[in-house]
Amino acid sequence: MTETPPNTATAKGAAHPAGGRSALRHLLQGERPYMLYVAFAVMLVVFSLASPWFLSIDNFLNIGRQTTLVSIIAVGMTFVIISRQIDLSVASTLALSGMSASLAMAFVANNWVVGAVAGLGTGALIGLVNGVLTTRLEIPSFLVTLGTLSGARGLALMVTNTKPVIITNEYYFAIFGEGSVLGIPAPILWTLGVTIAGILLLHYSVYGRRVYAAGGNPTAALYSGVNIKQVTTLAFVLTGTLAGLASLILSARSHAARPDVVQGMELDVIASVILGGCSLFGGRGFVLGTLLGSLIIGTLNNGLVLLGVSSSLQLVIKGAIIVAAVAFTRR
Amino acid sequence: MIEQGSTAIEQGSIAGMSPLLRVEGVSKRFGGVNALRGVSLEIRSGEVHALLGENGAGKSTLIKILSGVHVHDGGSIEIDGKPVSFASPAQSRDAGVAVVYQDLSLVESLSVADNLLLGREPRTRFGVLRKSLLMAQAEAFLKSQNIPLDARAMVGSLPFAYRQMTEIAKALMGDVRLLILDEPTSALTDDEEKILFEAIRAVAARGVGVIYVTHRLNEVFRISNRVTVFRDGQNAGTFITQETNMRQLVGAIVGPDHAVLKADDTASAQSPRAPAHSADRPVLDLRDVGNDRLDRVNLQLRGGEIHGLAGLIGSGRTEILQTIFGLLPVQSGQASLDGAALAASGPAAAIGQGIALVPEDRHVQGLVLDHSIERNLTLPRLPDFSRLGWLRRRTASAHANAAMRRLAVKAPGALTPVKNLSGGNQQKVVFGKWNEPRPRVLLLDEPTVGVDVGAREEIYGVIRAAAAAGSGVLLVSSDLSELLQLCDRISIVVDGRITKTISRHDLGSAEDLHHLIQLSQPSEEHAA
Repeated sequence: MTETPPNTATAKGAAHPAGGRSALRHLLQGERPYMLYVAFAVMLVVFSLASPWFLSIDNFLNIGRQTTLVSIIAVGMTFVIISRQIDLSVASTLALSGMSASLAMAFVANNWVVGAVAGLGTGALIGLVNGVLTTRLEIPSFLVTLGTLSGARGLALMVTNTKPVIITNEYYFAIFGEGSVLGIPAPILWTLGVTIAGILLLHYSVYGRRVYAAGGNPTAALYSGVNIKQVTTLAFVLTGTLAGLASLILSARSHAARPDVVQGMELDVIASVILGGCSLFGGRGFVLGTLLGSLIIGTLNNGLVLLGVSSSLQLVIKGAIIVAAVAFTRR
Repeated sequence: MIEQGSTAIEQGSIAGMSPLLRVEGVSKRFGGVNALRGVSLEIRSGEVHALLGENGAGKSTLIKILSGVHVHDGGSIEIDGKPVSFASPAQSRDAGVAVVYQDLSLVESLSVADNLLLGREPRTRFGVLRKSLLMAQAEAFLKSQNIPLDARAMVGSLPFAYRQMTEIAKALMGDVRLLILDEPTSALTDDEEKILFEAIRAVAARGVGVIYVTHRLNEVFRISNRVTVFRDGQNAGTFITQETNMRQLVGAIVGPDHAVLKADDTASAQSPRAPAHSADRPVLDLRDVGNDRLDRVNLQLRGGEIHGLAGLIGSGRTEILQTIFGLLPVQSGQASLDGAALAASGPAAAIGQGIALVPEDRHVQGLVLDHSIERNLTLPRLPDFSRLGWLRRRTASAHANAAMRRLAVKAPGALTPVKNLSGGNQQKVVFGKWNEPRPRVLLLDEPTVGVDVGAREEIYGVIRAAAAAGSGVLLVSSDLSELLQLCDRISIVVDGRITKTISRHDLGSAEDLHHLIQLSQPSEEHAA
């Protein structure tokens, strides 16, 4: 007891300057020092050596565009997984949101705002259903979202009897698909915007702290007055809304919404989040890691295509990487 | 006392027979803590031997050594005269030692027979389960042991006593010489207890030695042949049950010198503190509060008062705190804080009203172990460190550093993960969550369990400071000397009710309090 004052004094002195640095370091590398950056760099080198087409601006913009959908949804999935849940329904949510956006513009008003509200709203609503069923009925989110995975896809196929819906709104194309600012395509700008918003929300807001606590130890969070049901439900709503945003980007790119798009994309989204350093056991992860994880998955897809690896083998390789990443995060 | 006990036993009828189990001078250290300092114990076949002692006296350490979880550092253990040392639970099991722990390890969705033969089910040559044979084997076994259990019953549908009995039956499968029961009755009704005791007697009658660990003194008189008491990792006496009485056992458990010493401590510790403001209106007022776990609880907590809740584990002490904190509903009666009704809609509302809880299990309920000290300290009051939902990191970190300094938390910095701290420092972090601003009501559930002596004194200082600043403190503790040292008043909790509230001045020693608790228990034929 007598040696306490000097001890804590030094502790205090060390904590303050280290505080800022440490927060920045956490933002950049989470809890796994630089592994992600090394993995990403190694992959770039390997593909550059293996394929002459890999190392070009066009190809990187290509990767960026292809990765957009996964990256955007993965930011929401980061919140869900940190709060110790999972959302398998994101690809179906995307499909149904796209149908909803295109139908709203076809039948309500051919205005991009109407389309955006319908698409985002549909996504948010599915997220709300996922969240409420998970927290109020206490059904594991794995099962709830397995249900919405099937249900939302079925609804999307039902509304037009599996036919695509054509979109004709030029503003819509420009804002979500084909426009660009300073040569940067709109989808990539949306990805950057969502990533920055995700970083602010997860690392700089009260809500973000509560997400970490709810996943790190739900009982302790409850005993500290955190409304876990609300926090978890919001994470699902966020993910659903971002799946809605992704549907706008996809349909603006193809000038149509199709009900059978992106089947199985939840695999890429979850793989990005886990690869990015989130623990499936909750309480750990960071948004920048997720972005990097999705870029790794996107680059892997792109590189394997350039190398002429069959799409079947690509699935096997991705599956192996997910399992390896989970084995690695488990302590 | 020890000599007196053992001479009496030498003259006993079974004298001369070599004991089934002989533990001689066994010691065990954990880091800097001497959990066992040379304890001895003899168990004869056919006897039920009760093992008593306060929390931390060394009972569970010895059981863990006998069951192969820990290896002893010194001394010897013999079974049937052969020295043994168990490196694993499997070795202990092979030597004929079976342990039944408090937390049941049964599969509730399977039948009693399935559970008994789990992992060694009879099969055909092709690996197909032979159900009728399994049932027949289980029934034959239960019959041979005189255990009144229906082998076909689903474990999940059984009352607690029968589950406990299934557990015992499962432990007895194979060649068992020594059966260890670790507080088997903590959740039983009187009738259930009777059924279980008969089963235990039947087991002993077959020549098995039974070690019966308990906190409940009156049980000792109903079930055991002999009693051994541990205190601070040493023997505090062995008695023949019929020749001893409750006062003698309590004396051995608490230690007479110890009680006197603690009483003196209390007097000196209390004098500098202002007396409780007895004239004030109570901060917290519970009138006939009831729910599934509580039965018409009446309690008035004054500002500046430290009020103890004493009782056995499972008596409802924790539930009183949980109800005040909004984790359990108030279904009947009235609870009010500063004269206004208590919201009681959940922890968030309780915290908003100025109620704080330091929960029983800091690892499960108190802390997010993976997260930093700062994150844990700021979690209950995040809105205070934010503007429009955005964190003000500098304010949060200043708060964390101030709290660490005030509570003398020993850590490299506020960003150190809580899991890297010692138990005492972890507990200080839990206190720090509620330290500033002062809560109106501070609820403490076993605040010094697993905390070393130095940190314990510091935590006592924190508790006294909270009361001195006007908070009403409600303290649940199984450590009676802790209650006596800190509290102004103590209430006894039995079966979800407060049966008695006594002023500290009317209690002499921990022994008196121990008596009071034991005497408050229902069905008390050996009380006198």
